[in-house]
Amino acid sequence: MTQMSVPWRPRGKAKFDGPAGMVAGGAKTVFAIFAPFVRAFPGAIMLSAVFGTIVAVWAHYLLFEVVDIALIGSTFNIPANTGLLGGPLTVEEARSALTQIGAPAAGFLCYLLYPVQYGLVRDLVAAGGILGFISVIPLYTIWWERKVAGRIQSRTGPMRVGGWHGWSQSMADGIKLICKEDLCPAGADKPLFKLAPYLAFVPAILAFFALPFGTYWVFRQLDVALVFILAMLGIEVLGVIIAGWASNNKWSVYGAMREACQMVSYEIPMGMALLIPIMCVGTLSLTTIGDTQSGGWTSWIVFRSPFTFAAALVYYIASLASCKRAPFDLPESESELVAGFHTEYSGFRWSLFFFAEYAAMFVVSGLLVILFFGAWYSPLPLLWADGLGESLPARAVKGVLFAGPIWFIAKCVFLLYVQIWLRWTLPRIRIDQVLYACIQVLLPLMMLILLGHTFYELLVPVGGVVWTLFNLILSTIGAVLMIGMLFVATYGCWNRVRLVGNLGRELLPGS
Amino acid sequence: MADTLLESQPDLMLDIDKSEQGDVRTEEMLVNMGPQHPATHGVLRVVLRTDGELVLEAVPHIGYLHRCAEKIGENLQPYQYIPYTDRMDYLAGMNNNQAFAIAIERLAGIEVPERAKYIRVIFAELNRIASHLVALGTYGLDMGAFTPFLYMFREREMILDLFESTCGARLTYSYINVGGVHDDFPDRFLDVLEEFLDYFEPKIEEYNQLLSYNHIFVKRTANVGVISPDDAVRWALTGPVLRGSGINWDLRKSTPYEIYDRFDFDIPIGLPGGSERIPRSVVVGDCWNRYFVRLVEMEQSCRIIRQAMKQIPEGKILANKLKNLKLPNDEVYVEIENPRGQLGFYIRGDGSAIPSRVKARGPSFCNISVLNHIGKGCLLADIPAIVGSIDIVMGECDR
Amino acid sequence: MHHPRQRPGKTVLLTFALAALTCVTMTSAQEPDFGDVGFEFPPEPPPQAADTPTEFDGVPLSIPGGATEALLFYLFGGTLLVSALGVCISRSVVRMATWLFFTLGAASVLYFLLGAAFLGAIQLIVYAGGTLILLVFGVMLTSKSPWVRYDCPRTEMAAAAGVAIVLFAGLLTLLTRTVWPGTAPMARGGTVAEFGKELLTTYLVPFEVASVLLLVVMIAAAYLARQDR
Repeated sequence: MTQMSVPWRPRGKAKFDGPAGMVAGGAKTVFAIFAPFVRAFPGAIMLSAVFGTIVAVWAHYLLFEVVDIALIGSTFNIPANTGLLGGPLTVEEARSALTQIGAPAAGFLCYLLYPVQYGLVRDLVAAGGILGFISVIPLYTIWWERKVAGRIQSRTGPMRVGGWHGWSQSMADGIKLICKEDLCPAGADKPLFKLAPYLAFVPAILAFFALPFGTYWVFRQLDVALVFILAMLGIEVLGVIIAGWASNNKWSVYGAMREACQMVSYEIPMGMALLIPIMCVGTLSLTTIGDTQSGGWTSWIVFRSPFTFAAALVYYIASLASCKRAPFDLPESESELVAGFHTEYSGFRWSLFFFAEYAAMFVVSGLLVILFFGAWYSPLPLLWADGLGESLPARAVKGVLFAGPIWFIAKCVFLLYVQIWLRWTLPRIRIDQVLYACIQVLLPLMMLILLGHTFYELLVPVGGVVWTLFNLILSTIGAVLMIGMLFVATYGCWNRVRLVGNLGRELLPGS
Repeated sequence: MADTLLESQPDLMLDIDKSEQGDVRTEEMLVNMGPQHPATHGVLRVVLRTDGELVLEAVPHIGYLHRCAEKIGENLQPYQYIPYTDRMDYLAGMNNNQAFAIAIERLAGIEVPERAKYIRVIFAELNRIASHLVALGTYGLDMGAFTPFLYMFREREMILDLFESTCGARLTYSYINVGGVHDDFPDRFLDVLEEFLDYFEPKIEEYNQLLSYNHIFVKRTANVGVISPDDAVRWALTGPVLRGSGINWDLRKSTPYEIYDRFDFDIPIGLPGGSERIPRSVVVGDCWNRYFVRLVEMEQSCRIIRQAMKQIPEGKILANKLKNLKLPNDEVYVEIENPRGQLGFYIRGDGSAIPSRVKARGPSFCNISVLNHIGKGCLLADIPAIVGSIDIVMGECDR
Repeated sequence: MHHPRQRPGKTVLLTFALAALTCVTMTSAQEPDFGDVGFEFPPEPPPQAADTPTEFDGVPLSIPGGATEALLFYLFGGTLLVSALGVCISRSVVRMATWLFFTLGAASVLYFLLGAAFLGAIQLIVYAGGTLILLVFGVMLTSKSPWVRYDCPRTEMAAAAGVAIVLFAGLLTLLTRTVWPGTAPMARGGTVAEFGKELLTTYLVPFEVASVLLLVVMIAAAYLARQDR
């Protein structure tokens, strides 16, 4: 070994104490417990995870219902403007409510039930759920991106960690990143350098607090959810710019400049594209916009008029640019700027940027789904579910088949997949082309679309012949595209050996 | 940082005309691209003087990989020096071996057996394909297209497998030696080679679909880093860089060495946009043309290999009388067509077994000199495009 | 320094603390949605805010959460003040911008606390997300070195101090002389639609004047930025 000739003092084994040690140790323990099971029954565990999630959601729901009925009653009018610490009810009010429904000696019960009453539990559970979700999205999107990239590039991607297709690769990477040295380059603007990852990460979390996953699956049903989410996506950029600036590295400054330039210009066509569904529905509330698309495939806003169709496309392109995905990944383009704005970052701070990026990818996909692609509704019209009734099992069936967070997440994940697919297919464009595409192509196009859509809404009566004709044509185009994509994927999978050629067969995974 | 760099290198402070930029003037910046940078293909250092994204000047600095390769050659017998030639252009070891071997053979008057000549041609062309695969793949990588890179490396692995089956090495072969080649083909080699060619030729079309005609890729490379034919000659450019500028000059055709005059093949040159197989926005001498010349050269190499496979005779693979080889008191200069251009060896013997002077003329070294000429006034993102299209190997550039 | 500082634990903790703080803010900023949770389909949301009962069977309903709100008000008001001070006293332009970001952010949180969600969101998107980025971008493009220092001449500082004192005195007078309502003013629900209607009916002329002004600014900027003049 050449170890002897290394002039540096050999370092002892790194010791982690305090929270870092706890995190790493905890993760290792979790891994040690779960890895053998996942290795043994990967499919069963995936199925039971889905099933378990549904059951947990149900338990949660029932708890709410029980507490609501017990404490509040169905007719009780809840005072508005309540805060966290007070909860919807004080203990006194809970006692009086319980006396009303015939539970007079409920003094102790009130104190017991107080912490689990609806508003408080809901907020805590939702906040925890969102934080958990944000942690899981990057973990599994990165893993999935690596798997998809592997398949696209005729290799397998991660295969080792955890056993089954490297399912815990991202966890291992996370532990590694947490344990890495937290470097701050000499000459950097230290406070800003350390602050920047938070400026990127916290807005990404905040965006989720206004993003509805279902009609009632939203942390805060903001009137202005759309503007709020856009603002959060904009603020995330500030973190990137400050990171690039504070690093004391010219490549980072280039990355930051490109990010600022790109983001500021693409926000305009993006915002204009988002105006179109707002014009269709007449509100900024994402929940309301989503709920207007419950009538199945043809009622999705993207198929409403040729202009909405074009706007969805423009929005998707602009959203790629706004979350720095290929072919717009100039701020971190490896071959030009080394790693762009995060060149100097390491360890956990570096991973925060990735958390933020993948969370932002999910958010922009979520916006596209809510505003154009039928939100949390399935392609089947909700009316078909009317005969099922309102019993709990019937509601479960409806939730899975017709509407619910599962549909929302599935659509978002599909759009994430498209982003990954594009990234591993396309070369990167140049900064002047990025700006040309925005200012000379997308912006005028979007203005035309906006104008055209205004007149379309004004002149073409909803439900009239022309409207229906366009709606049907566009729905058919969408369906054909979708089916065509599935067909091509199936064909490629079926003929993968022939497509890659004889010699490549041995090198092709899965053949 | 900018200030210290300026002080240490005053020659970089060229005339900056401050008046022409108006009153809202952005500051110029000196940026070090390399020696550790993903896009400089090794340890090239380019000092960029930039105004925002605009590059005002791109000065290449070389020498980070200097290993006294020529001086070593003046202390070793020719067959001992063969492994050092591998390490010059490490992506085209066979061609380097060949150039040095031919130079020594001409100097010492060694006659190479026919079979060895064919084996040399087959391996030199295979190595040309392998080298171009790396060049094109990493070029896609420079443009941000990751996937073609891995496809090309998949095919390159197969070529390396072929090399390994014959000479045991995958990168530094030392296979083509003075007077012939080391070993004969293993059993069934030609069958496997034919299978590979049958597999590989359709793949070139796949690369076209994936990368060459990709709209973004064409946008990134067409009309970027244009070298006019005049400039190409004036800067002594060779290889695909010269041919990309539309000049039909290939040593395999113009001054055939070994047995290249026995094969029928074409020399691809850069063509104006709108010609057959050429996108409309392309001009002669731009990055896209340099890229595409390499791609077509791979097709032509396949043609040469197929013909050589048909013609190859049985027989010896190494010349006689190689023990105690004394170089005559004479000098020789031999150039052959390397994947990157003309690789020349000047060797002077003094009657002993060790040459008294060894001098190599490396194509990467000459080609990189044009960087500042064409890099002026382009955008920052064009610098990797230009460097990649010149396709340098620093091992040979610095020697 | 042979041993690197291994302090990732603090980073982790701080992240979660920030996230938790975020939750707290969001929780108290808006009225909670009391719609059902679960696989249920949209009935009309229950009427809120408009007819809030003040008492229930003779028991007065105090509005809980007031204390939290006050706490948050002081927290973010304090943040606003401190960061505004930071804008004034920091020398590096980018640090100023960062302080300004916190100032603007805290102001928007105050808007959220008042129930003016639209104003808060617009504050975030226009000032924090747009103007500030342009500002930092401009600094990066035009700066001499990466570390831009802004040193103010003493005369300017004195003049600025004078202006600030006068303004502060004016504000103080206003604050002490105004008769404040007993409770915190709250924006009413449905602000966006009403806001839009007001803008396009009652305040149409000022609105259009503002947009014409912006157009003029845009043309002027394009004129200034053109290549040859």
